[in-house]
Amino acid sequence: MLDHRLILLATPRQIGVLDWRPGHMHWLGEFSANAEGLAAFRKIVVGHAHLPAMLVADTVDEDYRSELLPHVKGHARNELLARKLKQVFRNARFTGAWRQVRETTGRRDDRYLLAALTDADWLTPWLSVLHRERVPLSGITPLAMACEHLLDKLRFQEQHTLLAYRLNNSLRLSYYHNGLLRFSRLIGSDTPTQLPSNAADEIAKTQLYLAGQRILPREARLHVLLLDPSGQLDSAQAPLNADPAFSARLIDLPSLARALRIPDDFLAATPEVAPLAAIAGETLRLNLAPPELLQRHTEFRWRRGLHAAAGLIAFVGLGIAAAYWLQAQDLDEQARLLAQQQQHLETRYQAIARAFPAQAAAPEQLAQTVSLAQHLDSRLTDPAALLASVGQALEMTPDIALENLEWTDESLMPSGDILIKLDATLTSFDGNYRTAMQRIERFMRALQAAPHLKDVSLQSSPVNADSTSTLTGKTFDADTRKDAAARFSLSLRYREVGS
Amino acid sequence: MSRPPFSVLKLSLLLVLTALLLVAASVLWSWGLAQDAALRLQQQRNALNSAQQQLDRSRQQQQLIATHLDAYQTLAARGFVGDEDRLAWIEAAQLANRDAGLYGLSYRLTPRTKSPPALTQGLPLGQTTMVLTLPLLVETDLMRFLSALRSRASGVYRVQGCRMSSLGSAPFEAVNQPRLQAECDLLWFTVAGKVGGAS
Repeated sequence: MLDHRLILLATPRQIGVLDWRPGHMHWLGEFSANAEGLAAFRKIVVGHAHLPAMLVADTVDEDYRSELLPHVKGHARNELLARKLKQVFRNARFTGAWRQVRETTGRRDDRYLLAALTDADWLTPWLSVLHRERVPLSGITPLAMACEHLLDKLRFQEQHTLLAYRLNNSLRLSYYHNGLLRFSRLIGSDTPTQLPSNAADEIAKTQLYLAGQRILPREARLHVLLLDPSGQLDSAQAPLNADPAFSARLIDLPSLARALRIPDDFLAATPEVAPLAAIAGETLRLNLAPPELLQRHTEFRWRRGLHAAAGLIAFVGLGIAAAYWLQAQDLDEQARLLAQQQQHLETRYQAIARAFPAQAAAPEQLAQTVSLAQHLDSRLTDPAALLASVGQALEMTPDIALENLEWTDESLMPSGDILIKLDATLTSFDGNYRTAMQRIERFMRALQAAPHLKDVSLQSSPVNADSTSTLTGKTFDADTRKDAAARFSLSLRYREVGS
Repeated sequence: MSRPPFSVLKLSLLLVLTALLLVAASVLWSWGLAQDAALRLQQQRNALNSAQQQLDRSRQQQQLIATHLDAYQTLAARGFVGDEDRLAWIEAAQLANRDAGLYGLSYRLTPRTKSPPALTQGLPLGQTTMVLTLPLLVETDLMRFLSALRSRASGVYRVQGCRMSSLGSAPFEAVNQPRLQAECDLLWFTVAGKVGGAS
């Protein structure tokens, strides 16, 4: 839809309209240059006013000039070309320049083809209709330029080519150098070109003219393509080929239709669409329209660009929005599946929780309580074994009399021992403290040697011989000896086997 | 393309602006939808994890209950769980004294106190000290009494310590009179009643 346009083929006598878009074309008809034709043309234009239009002019009142100009760019080039066109074509309104190639030698100048419609009054009514109906005119180009694209489509790549194209009872002779238009002329229908020999003569005259103008080298062999849907140029091939300066070749309609990818019957019915179809999708390289006629097309292109930008923005934006929306749907679907799984888990949990005993403590506390009770019930002190260990030491020291025995269970504490404290007295104490202390030490060694007992220490002794304390006492005689007592206290630890 | 003819492109520019606004609005709206959906999904994942953890925990609790419920109920029946049963403890001491054939005893129960934290394992464990004073003929009487108490007492207790002392310094005579006195400290343990049910 972006490349949909009208291609107009205008001659002083009529105008043809082709509705073209890539892959499709429709011939809307031909309209004579009179009041009825203009009205009918206007009707067609009104119906397609939204489409850009390109006008191909086919007239004898045209002029071509090949010029070498200094290589400049931008604004300087525009000014240079404007001056040159003014100089060459004087007051012609429809002029244009096409920079074809750059010379490879010398100053490396640019070679331009300058062209003009020297008399374009016949074009004014058609352009008025287009202007009145606000049709965006993209350009005006001579038919010879359309034929250049035709040659390109035909893949004809000879260095010196002359296309003899018979259309609307006129013969157009166009010269192309390396595929680029250098010169063209139209021989009108008032000339008796219906005769094949006259066509060959016109071609020969044109060859002489081109050679005379140094457009065509004198020794060059000119390849002539004869294109005539009516077949009247066929007989010109033989006389041309008889001349070694020419090499003529006929282009039949099926080959042309195949090259342009249009149906044979459509081309046979409307042979004038051939150059229009060839140039329709191409960039306009030689535009003869003055800038004021192109204003609407400039607006059209800006408008179309903005609309395309708006469409692109909307498309991309909607794409992004759709992607987010789809992502949201996907995430919601995942969440829904997870919610189902959660529901399933909660159902299973409820089934398990219903089986819990109602009055029991929390399961963790329940286990801890059992564990604690087991701990408290473990490592109980065996008093019999404890007393047996102490008794074993007492048996080894019969001169020790036990007065008090006390034990404290610390087996649940980190030390894990049982503390024992005992108070005892020495029997048969004669007042000799040295001997008494020796007997006590012997008792302590006996305790230390007893099973499970350790850390035996003397807490209080019969006499305190420490140099930091006061020591008082008396000696005993034989009568008082029996009343004397030597008391002492010991502390020790008991640890059961395996604890 | 030459300089844009803004005067004739107002509608087109407005169209571009409208497209931009509409696109921005729709993208923001759909982005918000996606963000909300992502948040809902994250919340649902968290809820699912919680449900999974709850189920795993309930299975563990189920296992704990299956393993320990009988033992716990036995402990509750023994009086370890719940209020103190001081009468049962006194009765156990009296019966043990009788079983051991001793000469009577005196007892004293102190108020219940909290057990040391190192012992409680985080449970509301309390302990009550029972001080028993009993005369003995020989040292082995104490062993027989403690053994009898162990068989009579249903609660959980430990003998914290004992002190044995002779009642006088008279020489040994073969008469059936107590010559020793024992004073023992017993700790009776109890755990406060139900703290919380299964969850």
